Amino acid sequence: MKEGKFEPNIVAFTCNWCSYGSADLAGISRLQYPPNAKVIRLMCSGRIDPVMVIESFKNGADGVMVTGCHIGDCHYSTGNHRTQVRFDALQKAMKVMGLNPERLRLLWASASEGQQWAEGITEMTEKIREIGPNPITAGGITK
Amino acid sequence: MTESDLRIGVFVCHCGLNIAGTVDCESVAEYAGTLPGVAHSDHLLFTCSDDGQANIKQKIKELNLNRVIVASCTPRTHEPVFRACVEEAGLNRYLYDQVNLREHVSWVHMDDHELATEKAKTLVRMAVERAKYLEPLERKAVDVIQKAAVIGAGVAGISAALDLADAGFETTLIESRPTIGGQMALLDKVFPQNDCAICILGPIMSKVGQHPNINLMTYSELDNVEGYVGNFHLNVRKKSRYIDTEKCNGCGDCATVCPVSVTNEYEFGMGERRAAYRPFPQAVPNKYTIDKRGTSPCRIACPAHVNVQAFLALLKEKKYDEALEIYRKNSPFAGTLGRICTNPCQADCERGKYDQAVSIRNLHRFLADYERDNGGIKIDPIVPDKKKAKKPVAIVGGGPSGLACAYDLARDGYSVTVFEARKEAGGLLRWGIPAYRLPRDVLRDEIGILKQMGVTIKTGTKVESIAELKAQGFKAFYVATGASSSRMMNIKGENTKGVLSAIEFLDKVNSGKTVNIGKKVAVIGGGNAAIDAARTAKRLGAKKVTIVYRRSREEMPAIPSEIDEAEHEGIQIEFLATPIEIDTKEKLVSSMKCIRMRLGAPDESGRRRPVPIPDSEFKISVDNIIMAIGQGVTPEALLTKLEPTQWGSLEVDPVTLQTNMKGVFGGGDVVLGGGGTAIEAVAAGKEAAKSIDRFLRGVDLIEGREDFLIPIEKIDVDEEAFKTRYAPEMPTLSMSKRKTTFEEVELGFKEAVAIAEAERCLSCGICCECEKCVEACKLDAVNHKLQDEIVELDVGTIIVATGFQTYDPLETREFGYGTFENVITNAQLERLTNAAGPTQGKPKRPSDHEIPKRVAFVQCVGSRDRRIGQDYCCYIGCANSLKQAIQLKEKFPDIEVTIYTMDVRTHGLGYEGLYRRARSMGVLIVKGRPSEIEEIPDTKSLIVYAEDLYTGERLETTSDLVVLATALIPNDDTPELARKMKLSTGEYGFLMEAHPKLRPVDSFQDGVFLAGATLGPMDIPKAVAYGKGAAAGAQALMAPGKFYVEPIYAEINTDLCFDCDLCSDMCPYGAITGKGEDRRVMFELCQGCGTCAGACPHNAIDMRHYRRQQIMPQIMAAVRMQGGVVL
Repeated sequence: MKEGKFEPNIVAFTCNWCSYGSADLAGISRLQYPPNAKVIRLMCSGRIDPVMVIESFKNGADGVMVTGCHIGDCHYSTGNHRTQVRFDALQKAMKVMGLNPERLRLLWASASEGQQWAEGITEMTEKIREIGPNPITAGGITK
Repeated sequence: MTESDLRIGVFVCHCGLNIAGTVDCESVAEYAGTLPGVAHSDHLLFTCSDDGQANIKQKIKELNLNRVIVASCTPRTHEPVFRACVEEAGLNRYLYDQVNLREHVSWVHMDDHELATEKAKTLVRMAVERAKYLEPLERKAVDVIQKAAVIGAGVAGISAALDLADAGFETTLIESRPTIGGQMALLDKVFPQNDCAICILGPIMSKVGQHPNINLMTYSELDNVEGYVGNFHLNVRKKSRYIDTEKCNGCGDCATVCPVSVTNEYEFGMGERRAAYRPFPQAVPNKYTIDKRGTSPCRIACPAHVNVQAFLALLKEKKYDEALEIYRKNSPFAGTLGRICTNPCQADCERGKYDQAVSIRNLHRFLADYERDNGGIKIDPIVPDKKKAKKPVAIVGGGPSGLACAYDLARDGYSVTVFEARKEAGGLLRWGIPAYRLPRDVLRDEIGILKQMGVTIKTGTKVESIAELKAQGFKAFYVATGASSSRMMNIKGENTKGVLSAIEFLDKVNSGKTVNIGKKVAVIGGGNAAIDAARTAKRLGAKKVTIVYRRSREEMPAIPSEIDEAEHEGIQIEFLATPIEIDTKEKLVSSMKCIRMRLGAPDESGRRRPVPIPDSEFKISVDNIIMAIGQGVTPEALLTKLEPTQWGSLEVDPVTLQTNMKGVFGGGDVVLGGGGTAIEAVAAGKEAAKSIDRFLRGVDLIEGREDFLIPIEKIDVDEEAFKTRYAPEMPTLSMSKRKTTFEEVELGFKEAVAIAEAERCLSCGICCECEKCVEACKLDAVNHKLQDEIVELDVGTIIVATGFQTYDPLETREFGYGTFENVITNAQLERLTNAAGPTQGKPKRPSDHEIPKRVAFVQCVGSRDRRIGQDYCCYIGCANSLKQAIQLKEKFPDIEVTIYTMDVRTHGLGYEGLYRRARSMGVLIVKGRPSEIEEIPDTKSLIVYAEDLYTGERLETTSDLVVLATALIPNDDTPELARKMKLSTGEYGFLMEAHPKLRPVDSFQDGVFLAGATLGPMDIPKAVAYGKGAAAGAQALMAPGKFYVEPIYAEINTDLCFDCDLCSDMCPYGAITGKGEDRRVMFELCQGCGTCAGACPHNAIDMRHYRRQQIMPQIMAAVRMQGGVVL
């Protein structure tokens, strides 16, 4: 960790068919973006149990990204519809948990949208950098 | 498995410098070695190589590894390779996991090696934590459907389909064009041997058409696809050709008579084709197609739905009687409405968006006038149908609405009688509209059409009730008695002698009665009646005629050209004023007091309500005042017992037009309360005729009565060929004649003007349904009612070979393309040299059709061009131009040919020979791209400005023809196709293969293969090879008959499940079944998305290989670690 500079710790849940592919395409295209997001590969964004997001924050994630196929393009037809519903519920829960809702972000990116992946990660990293570390593990400092 | 039993092997790959260039692989491997559970950790140069894999297998056996992690490239490429590798060493393939250090780390964090390495360590830690909980799984086999689908029938698709079909697989070949052959079939010669393209491809195309195992679906497109490898379900839309392909024998009689011409896309715009067409003579299948995009906006806008596009197309070809016949399918009033219609068709004319709407009304007037001048109207009488004649129809009111109703019913075989109270039929057309707008004989002769048809018109006969008509034996009735009373203003002095209503005034004049009109006349109102009254008053001798209208010019409802003509004739218009009092002197009108108005808030009609301005009164000295402020329905117009609305007009059902009396229908002004236009009245009459026919046949009045008019989604206008041209001015009667006579003011277009105007029609619908093709086809194959068909297919594999398009420099107008006539593309020149092309093989240049003496080729137009994001090489431009240069030189040895290029790319075998041959024939090759091309105005030849980079010389050469070697780009619908099939597209929009080196025909979807130029620019042999390669891939997948499905599916622990059904409700595949102890997941249906597991509140359902216990440790490692340090 660089001295003095806050490096956000971000978890990005991806789906095998679209968003993981978009991250791959960003790589193939050599698009550069900050190294703060760690990708967890799932088959579908619908696999994301809201508990996984909550546990991420409880244990120190500064930001969580929920990513998958665009609505209508889900490889499993309606998986990402559920993701959307769960994300909306989680957004509300963020306030209950005392967390800035901007720490949780939804990104739909198809396998041919490498640019969107790179931009999404970059924007998220900068936003988290701005709002600061997770208050739950960083001693209760909330922005 | 306890931690002490775990023996994890970690292999960190350098991938040459791909990973090692950014990530410190040694340090990552070292770190991994420190983690509990890791028995072996090492870094390798190329893990996927034979050596690397051998190393892994060796370590597994040697060290008894029971988990393997490879930290390398994306699992989307090599996961199957490494899974197979560990399986060979005796380890279950699902005890393997892969960490992406390349696409997700080394390639994207090149600026910070330290942070990249830290991220790499964290990712490896995440995988190690997950690996602890991986379990061995067995793959299950599913049956693979032994059929294939190939999308795209260019040379790649054809090659693939033939190989698959020969191997015994039933193959459906889907092609969006009406013929197979793709781009190759349109070429003239192909390099390097300069074979004739269609000669070598033709026999192969025939073979496809006749192959017993190929189900050829042309003019078809993929609507959507579902399923997975081995079991794809496709919905294919078979577009309607409007020709029955079983009957069509390709004779072409339909095309010969088709009047609609459009730019021929198969000639790259160098020629035209008809709406009924066949792409080229060797088309497979050899059938014609009618290109119909929908109903043109003019026809939809016309309340009577006259087929405008059709009569314009026939007018253009001088087929005036056939054109008039088309008009008369809908209404008899071509000449009448040709003079007075408010032309809603023109308001929607697509041409109006470019320069000016086509003068549709004046053109059907021309048709009517032409007939009058050449023999007059001759209509055959119609013998009523015996059955229908038993139910005669009575129509009350001989105005446009009643007459239109009679017309349609008579044409349908009914016996019709029109009852008209006045001494002549025509309604307001006869008694309201002045003769200088609508000459009496034009109207009389068109009403005569009905008489010629056999309709009885009883003039001078007033009808008082329906009952009296029933007594005469009539079975159905249409009431179209109009709105003949006038609204008055109810101001002081209105009842003075000399104050008239417009209806009254015009009626008297049109009846031939003498009307005394003073020198000064004021007309109140802003509609057509006001203008008619004003212009009539002028002709009767009024010196000063003033129209007083309470709103502004923009809101005046009268036809704009009428307002203009009124002003030309010297009539003044006082806008924003209204009378408040009429002053009299000796019981005669002397003056009128008016007040100025301003526009306030909008009223219920949406127009701004005029508000009087206080203290702004002024006087106009007048002898007569004519009120033209609106009509009203007289009570007797409703006959006895028909129910009125609250405003006094006739109440009818808005759809069926039926009144409160069964079998009695009403329409026109009597229903509207006045203010309707003639064409609206005609439309109402036609609706009533439809209702009466249904009523008499005992059929439901509403069901299925709508017209089948489908608007065009997107109107294709050839913007390259478009030339701005405005509608012609209507010649008018001289002002001196106008002042004193009621002679017709608008004189009509001359023949040449009419034809030129009809040519401005853009043929929006392309096929206009004139039905000349139906008449011409001797096999009865044309059927305009045919519809698109959806065909469902189940296949095991799909090959996508949808090809490419050539770049069109029209947007940038580079090198003058689109502006200078003699600048064309390679593709266009190809058509000119083609013996079957628009110039029969002679390379005649566009401007003067002369063979050019000097030709210049400009290479790389749109290729290697970073400005437009197309910085790739088009692969075939050099060879193509060399080939065309050689062809020109062969036929015309004296032609000077120069090729301006950056580099000459003649790769592989044969192409270098092409280059040498061209040079030996005297083709000049200049290394230097032209900077500019200028046109010489009189000769239309071009000056090419370039620099020879070898000699440094500035060149300024004149060329008669310039040919641009344009880029190859993806088809416009590639993003849509990629979305439907879940394929990736690459940087330039082409479809992307799974791996550019080793998997050139595989897509990222198992079971879907890619072939040909849909992947990127390539030449014919390469496309053929890709097609055959894809076929081989598909066969390899289908031949074993089974495909191993990933054992990634859900499982239920019935002890924890309490049947809340959350999971089964959200499963897209209905894979969860049963209750209680019997609750289970059907693995054949489960696709492994895990949505159920994400929802279960009791952790009762979980996803194998993506279990909660496998994901949570990954998350913990991710959030608690940063570069190996616990946070």
